[in-house]
Amino acid sequence: MARCLAGDRIAERALYDAHVDRVYRLMFRMAGEADLAADFTQETFIRGFERLSQYRGDSSLGTWLHAIAVSVALNGLRKVKRMHGRTEPIEESHHLAVQPVGLTGDLKARLHAAVDALSEKLRPVFVMHDVEGYTHEEIAGTLGIPVGTSKARLFDARAKLRLALAVFAGDHIA
Amino acid sequence: MKEDRMDELLIKGTRDYHEPGPVPREDMWARIEAERGGRDRDVALAPIRRRWGWAVGGLAAAAVLTVGIVIGRRLERASVPSTTVAAIPQPSRSSSPESAAAAARTQSESENLAYRLVMLRHLAGTEAMITAFRSAARRGEVDAQIGDWSRELLGTTRMLEVSPVTQDPTMRRLLEDLDLVLVQIAQYVTSGKHNPDDLDLIEQSINKRGVIIKLRSSLPARALPAGT
Repeated sequence: MARCLAGDRIAERALYDAHVDRVYRLMFRMAGEADLAADFTQETFIRGFERLSQYRGDSSLGTWLHAIAVSVALNGLRKVKRMHGRTEPIEESHHLAVQPVGLTGDLKARLHAAVDALSEKLRPVFVMHDVEGYTHEEIAGTLGIPVGTSKARLFDARAKLRLALAVFAGDHIA
Repeated sequence: MKEDRMDELLIKGTRDYHEPGPVPREDMWARIEAERGGRDRDVALAPIRRRWGWAVGGLAAAAVLTVGIVIGRRLERASVPSTTVAAIPQPSRSSSPESAAAAARTQSESENLAYRLVMLRHLAGTEAMITAFRSAARRGEVDAQIGDWSRELLGTTRMLEVSPVTQDPTMRRLLEDLDLVLVQIAQYVTSGKHNPDDLDLIEQSINKRGVIIKLRSSLPARALPAGT
């Protein structure tokens, strides 16, 4: 840390190596595109190095970096959404999801579309917990929310996905 | 039971949600280094750019004001013959009291329009400056450039306070409010003490007088660019 603060590029590279894989994986899960994931990861580390002097050690350095990463990703995705207007609201993906099609690939595609359509509050929690395997404590630290809120958001996210997939998945379960 | 199967299905189905490929470590590191090098240069140049940006902004405000005044005076001069003709009894229809009154009205309207344009431009710039000042004050980063900017705007405000725009009582009151707020900001910056009580007084002036609301309601749907 001290060497990074002193501008030591080797120390910075070591810090980067220690965290880049996990940050990039989360960025990719959030963005769904390699270019965007790379952009968000780069911006995370650039901001991280710039603000390293503000790191107080209240959480682990990894959690602190992840907090920057999630903020960068959400802001970036908002810009992308504004530019392309491509993300459909949950109601629309629900219409898609309830049309029974009957193929495993379709189920996945519809499930992924339903995850894409989760709100900004629910999606990071769902992706971090159910997809990437973060603990609620890690999620809470990253998003700056209480552990209970993280659990409640995961519960809501799963409920919405269940609802979105109810009819379609019902055929599979049966 | 069914809910458990659904959760199982969710977890299975999302395991490969946006599955990441290999991490482009070296590419990203190269870009981070390049970007950081660029930003370091930007940080070094930022104060210079800001200073020039505001100087250009101030010059633009002065230029717009001058253009407005010139337009007003030309319109005034152009209307002098018709006024003179109207004063001398003539048999033609143009010399009738109605046409003289119409010419005077046109002159007055054109003049007001020119000043009004200048006024709108000035209000947009003032709103931008007050917003920038509040933001900088919150971060504790008020610098001398904000003082320069506020003094430039104060000069324009005072020129406008003796212009025809003050025939509109709403505009006159707004200019008086801006005069006070801009003086306070300029003094706050010049003193260099950055006393929280002084900042509080500025906030009170802005809020009690509804300066931002008045500014925004005076600007027609952001028709004019801010920043001067």
